[in-house]
Amino acid sequence: MRRPVSLYGLTFSLPLLIWQLLFFVFPLLFLVALSFWTVKNFVMSPDFDTVNWTTMYGRAVFWQAYGATFALAAGAAALTSILAFPCAYAIAFKLSDTARRWAVFLMVIPFFTSYLVRVYSWQIFLSDNGIINVMLGWIGLGPYPLLNTVGATMVGYLTLSFPLVVLLQLFSLVFIDRTLIEAAHNMRCGRVRTVFEVVIPSARVGLVIAALFAFILSFGDFVSPIYLGGGDPTTLSILITDTTKSGQQWPRAAVIALTMIGTLMVVAFAAVQFAYKGKTK
Amino acid sequence: MQRDTLVSFEGVVKRFGSFVAVQKMDFEIRKGEFLAIMGSSGCGKTTTLRMLAGLEAPSEGVIRLSGKPINDLPTWSRDTPMVWQSLALFPFLNVRENVEFALKMRGIGKVERRRRAEQWLDRMQITEFADRNIAQLSGGQRQRVALARSLVVEPEILLLDEPLSALDAALKVRMQSVLKTLQRETGITFVYVTHSQSEAFSMADRVVIMSRGVIEQIGTPQEIYRAPRTRFVADFLGSSNLFSGRVRPGAAGGVELETPAGALKLGGDGVMPADGTTATVTVLDTKTHLSVTPPARSVNVVPVRVVGEEFVGATATVYLETPQGQEIRVQKGHDELADLPLGIGQDLFAWWEPKDGHLVAEA
Ligand SMILES: Nc1ncnc2c1ncn2[C@@H]1O[C@H](COP(=O)(O)OP(=O)(O)OP(=O)(O)O)[C@@H](O)[C@H]1O
Ligand SMILES: [Mg+2]
Repeated sequence: MRRPVSLYGLTFSLPLLIWQLLFFVFPLLFLVALSFWTVKNFVMSPDFDTVNWTTMYGRAVFWQAYGATFALAAGAAALTSILAFPCAYAIAFKLSDTARRWAVFLMVIPFFTSYLVRVYSWQIFLSDNGIINVMLGWIGLGPYPLLNTVGATMVGYLTLSFPLVVLLQLFSLVFIDRTLIEAAHNMRCGRVRTVFEVVIPSARVGLVIAALFAFILSFGDFVSPIYLGGGDPTTLSILITDTTKSGQQWPRAAVIALTMIGTLMVVAFAAVQFAYKGKTK
Repeated sequence: MQRDTLVSFEGVVKRFGSFVAVQKMDFEIRKGEFLAIMGSSGCGKTTTLRMLAGLEAPSEGVIRLSGKPINDLPTWSRDTPMVWQSLALFPFLNVRENVEFALKMRGIGKVERRRRAEQWLDRMQITEFADRNIAQLSGGQRQRVALARSLVVEPEILLLDEPLSALDAALKVRMQSVLKTLQRETGITFVYVTHSQSEAFSMADRVVIMSRGVIEQIGTPQEIYRAPRTRFVADFLGSSNLFSGRVRPGAAGGVELETPAGALKLGGDGVMPADGTTATVTVLDTKTHLSVTPPARSVNVVPVRVVGEEFVGATATVYLETPQGQEIRVQKGHDELADLPLGIGQDLFAWWEPKDGHLVAEA
């Protein structure tokens, strides 16, 4: 059924519409057009050639980077969710109202400082003669190579998305009907079991969305894999910078970027589908 | 302690901070009875039930289940299933899974679980909704799911906290009979918290009336209705006329109450109060009679004036006032009132038999 567009409705949706056009649709259309341009002698010229797509998709490097990025982002989403949950659970169920307000406030503070600064400070901790290895040295251990490893990249991803994931999980946990938890206890469901039988299913939508955000942030992140992971494995974001640096290949970079956007759309759609599975409303 | 006692509250107190929600509660719940706990809002009914379920710990006193103290037993180690006012059904499980939940928690195998759930779905007539989501059910159907979910483990006792309050009037009456039948057939002890006098009195074997964390009276509906033990209960039930006054020896023997409305003769049951003390007597509005001329007998007659009349189904309630301004109600069938002039301002005489007057405890 079509409803006539009313002036009233239009007035209120117009800013949103303009915003969407300005910051999402136009750049995306430009990116799509760009991916069909050609580069000759380091000069880009408008064109309609599928050469960029076939070249990129024909390269093993591209697919390796794609696989690595996807796996890292999925791992980061899982790891962040698992580590964030006990934290969000404790804030939601174990703290007093005042303490909870403080905890939320503390979770917002990390957003005040630049992510880049936080990643650099991790370098100080993780490098071969960094704080952690020095302390391990005191008890006769190490030094261990901590920086430039996948583990370090993960630490970076956690730094990036942990506070947001905790907040998102927290907001889905605090809205759980407490009587459901009492009812489960009342039916012989112990404390830990209730978490799995009642709390997680009740908060499912929020938990999935939180994991989705962790995935999205990690999937597109450039800082952690390069400054903490040392660029190995190469992720798609690193591949983009490499591609633009080598001979002005912006159109090929556009192909990578569009592939990433497409992937995120599919993942986001699947995640939302999964979150609401079995819900009729 | 009696042999057929299932639960006993012994000096149970519940405080929230400095606020006392339940004070020194002593009572027993008998095996297989339908006990209703009734009282105005905030009097501690839910708190009492939650202490029994193990969702709230008593601040003082002992609660025993089958003779054993259960104060320190967490709710998941007790067999005291509860039906919440909100029903607390799990929205992420379908009807069948909801009913199977408690069985699953007891580690009962899939096949057996299925069989027993099926049995209760059938009994509560919700088999056809077994695979539906909770959101797709009507209020009455949800009610049945909640009952099936609690009863599937065949407990010894079931706790219900105003389970019918969200239903419309007609459905309420239907569910009342479902509950009563269920209780009689299974022999499970029901502890039923409610605001509603009609619910409590129509279903329960015994009723507990609470006020501000204190038990005012425990008894069968008939006992409580006929002879409210305290002024609060009489006021709460609202079906009696109350007269207060000083006790003195009666002119024609016995004991009289000297009230603003005149001297009233005491009779009936109970221990007579000492001379010189104050006492209150209650008389049911259905046991209070009216006449145009003073009745031949001269005891317990009060001159009154009609102030209003109200029809409720087969009966009518006449509102009257004594010369001192005290309100008196008389409830009768229409034919009994047919011969009386009941225009507003009409002077009449109200009277009752001394045996129908009951003394209440003076708080
Ligand atoms: N967790 C709590 N903390 C503080 N006070 C509480 C708490 N739970 C209940 N109370 C207080 O204890 C008193 C009794 O509460 P309760 O819930 O038992 O009342 P109720 O008889 O069930 O009332 P209603 O008929 O409105 O449900 C109320 O005054 C309430 O404010
Ligand atoms: Mg209550």
